[in-house]
Amino acid sequence: MRIEEHPILKFERERKINFYFNGIKMEAYEGETIASALHANGIKVLSHSRKGRARGFFCGIGKCSSCLMTVNGTPNVRTCITMVKDGMIVEGDKYDLPESFPYRKPIKEKIDVSMAIVGAGPAGLAAAIESAENGIDAILIDENPRLGGQLIKQTHKFFGSSREGAGKRGIEIAKELEEEATKKAKILLNTSVIGYYDKGYHFLVAANQMDGILYEIKAKKIIFSTGAQENMLVFEGNDLPGVYGAGGVQTLTNVYGVKPGNSGVIIGAGNVGLILSYQLLQAGVDVKAIVEAMPKIGGYFVHAAKVRRNGVPIYTRHTIKEAYGKDRVEGAKIVALDEKWNTIEGSEKDIKCDFIAVSVGLTPSTRLVQQTGAKIKFISAAGGWVALHNEYMETTKDGIYVAGDASNIEEASTAIIEGKIASLHASNSLKKVHGYDKKMKEYMKRLEELRSGIFGERAKFAKNKIYEEYYEIRENRRY
Amino acid sequence: MMKNNADVVIIGAGINGCALAYELSKRGKDVIVLDRRHIAAGATGRCGAGIRQQWSTKENAILAKKSVEIFENLSNELNYDIGFRQGGYLIAIHDENDMQQAKKNVEMQKSIGLDVRIIDADEIKEIVPILEPKGMEAIGATFCPTDGHADPFKTAYGYAMAAIKQGARFYKFTEVKKIRVKDNEIKSVVTDRGEIKTGVVVNAAGAWSKQVAKMAGIELPNKPVRKEALVTEPIKRIFDAMVISFRHGIYFSQMEEGQILGGIPSPEEKTGYHTEPTFSFLQRMAYMLGKYAPVLKSINVMRQWTGYYDVTPDALPILGKTSIEGFIQCNGFSGHGFMISPMVARLLAQLINDEKLDLPIERLSINRFKGKVFKEKSVVG
Repeated sequence: MRIEEHPILKFERERKINFYFNGIKMEAYEGETIASALHANGIKVLSHSRKGRARGFFCGIGKCSSCLMTVNGTPNVRTCITMVKDGMIVEGDKYDLPESFPYRKPIKEKIDVSMAIVGAGPAGLAAAIESAENGIDAILIDENPRLGGQLIKQTHKFFGSSREGAGKRGIEIAKELEEEATKKAKILLNTSVIGYYDKGYHFLVAANQMDGILYEIKAKKIIFSTGAQENMLVFEGNDLPGVYGAGGVQTLTNVYGVKPGNSGVIIGAGNVGLILSYQLLQAGVDVKAIVEAMPKIGGYFVHAAKVRRNGVPIYTRHTIKEAYGKDRVEGAKIVALDEKWNTIEGSEKDIKCDFIAVSVGLTPSTRLVQQTGAKIKFISAAGGWVALHNEYMETTKDGIYVAGDASNIEEASTAIIEGKIASLHASNSLKKVHGYDKKMKEYMKRLEELRSGIFGERAKFAKNKIYEEYYEIRENRRY
Repeated sequence: MMKNNADVVIIGAGINGCALAYELSKRGKDVIVLDRRHIAAGATGRCGAGIRQQWSTKENAILAKKSVEIFENLSNELNYDIGFRQGGYLIAIHDENDMQQAKKNVEMQKSIGLDVRIIDADEIKEIVPILEPKGMEAIGATFCPTDGHADPFKTAYGYAMAAIKQGARFYKFTEVKKIRVKDNEIKSVVTDRGEIKTGVVVNAAGAWSKQVAKMAGIELPNKPVRKEALVTEPIKRIFDAMVISFRHGIYFSQMEEGQILGGIPSPEEKTGYHTEPTFSFLQRMAYMLGKYAPVLKSINVMRQWTGYYDVTPDALPILGKTSIEGFIQCNGFSGHGFMISPMVARLLAQLINDEKLDLPIERLSINRFKGKVFKEKSVVG
């Protein structure tokens, strides 16, 4: 299942180690997650639900609960973001509490910082760099084992303005941001922010479960750049192992060099679905079909043309009806839709495949920012519930900011600028930033440019709605 | 369109409002229930959902026992599974003083026909295997196997749905603005959606009962107190009992799906309307859970939240009539509103319908605060 040759990526694997899955000794490399190591060993069924249904992983970024397993006696570990270690004991169907538990007293660390940034994707990295440039001390926290968020799996070249890295691949942009942020800001990886408390000041509690450290963080400003999570589609068998979120598949193939399967069906022909299909072809995976419910392809024409040239059929006005298989995906049944979105009888096609990738959009991750008391509203164009904010990314709660997909589903280039804007504004309200007005104007202009054109329309619409609602509330607060 | 008259208007769609609507509509009364939010939006939906009969005073124990008798058949009666399970309550005994009190309580509780006994540390471990009596600082416990818990949402909804079938109306997201009183009699309730003429208003507004009473010119001694609770991720079903300690104020049990749910007084416990959960509660509860059941140290907390106890000076509810004709109190439950709601609702329905009451409730009238106050000791959370 491991990818040995790739036209763009070179997988430099670290030391070979061993771990145990349900008592069976398996090989892995240091630096991979438990879930990807299991996939590399051909294990797709990670556990079973209490009703006996097979469970595999879905999102690959620690945001769903599909990959929970018992690791070294600790139940409910997210194996998709936990690194495999030499001698690790990984168990699938174990809900018992351990006889002797692997508990150790956590080390407590108190941190007092000007700016805390939660989420080290493009928005968070950019925010951390920006704060350092303004002479503001910042801490950047992420629950994943590495920086970069979803950028680290984007092997395609970016459009947009050259300052945000157009013409470069996502992985290259990620690398640059990572290097700069690592030099300039304090970084906590493998650390989940588990709660926000208002103590008269902003107070975050974060935990690094692997190393047993509990952080109590007092911060003057907080930027929540917590990203988004994959949407699920309702169809029969959608919980079968082998039904993955598009992002989960990208994590496997592009970050860990492990194939999700040999042949797949992609649901959704937006940019993510199209790019993913091409990346899979590069990884040597057979893409059987792309299925799109809309009458037209949603993504850029260039991406669609690339996959078509490689002979991948795109079925528009089709949807998935069923994923079938004994305890993992063995095929997909797709069906045509009429103008009223009803399925057309007799139009079913049966496609044999061993995985299905769902790329039907994202939902902003807002649970943490919601804990602050910032006003949250459902804005469909933004992708779901989002924290209302102004053009400087500040929410209705003073000193609490959002940036990137957590504030509206968009893409990496705009996330970078939003991170900078939030950080610049927060920095300036802590300590006057030299040349603030000029810098802010420049960022605003770049954001405007990135959102110009037909693909920026939805984002602009969503943002205007968010600003409007924000100001309605602020005015009612009589500021 | 909102109906503009009713025999009885109940303010508050918590468990007591819903149960009373059911009992009254069963008696043919035309009932309207108003709530500023929705069914079980306040303390009901945030409570620990325990049902206990082990009380220190006979009257309270009888009230709780009668409620359990109703709970036992409630899913059938409402035609809705309210998730009632009898796993028992295990109440820690920490020292000789506790033991003396426990012996007295058990004797009284037995006299009213409760199946309750004192158990030793070994039996504690038999009933709840993950408990560590040393960590609990317990020399024993009292245990009543017919105590239990139910799903507070399902119970409130079950009552409400059955009441609606009997003709009751629930107006949600409807805020009471005024209660009109003339010649010392209730005349109507004014809401933000219109006025409802009625002769009887029941104040079942939980932590907001004091404000509601004020609208009719009645002063209540109730205070809202923020309480906190948490729930862990689900683990295999290990135990059925609710574990509590009056000394530590802790309570916890395992839910149907395997989560551990519980609470403890927060070091930052406050009177007044504060909804923010605190980190000190999380720390305290996690620490104490770890002492009571060390294996729980290896599982994650999923959520924490807050709710209000509507607390009276003697920690007993205020039930029944007031000096204003037709103004009925059903509040001040001080953290125990859920467990006694079936019987409270039945008694108040009997009172409003001029029937003979199954149990006397004069002792719980608002008038009791004029004299000396005797506080219920068996209070937890």
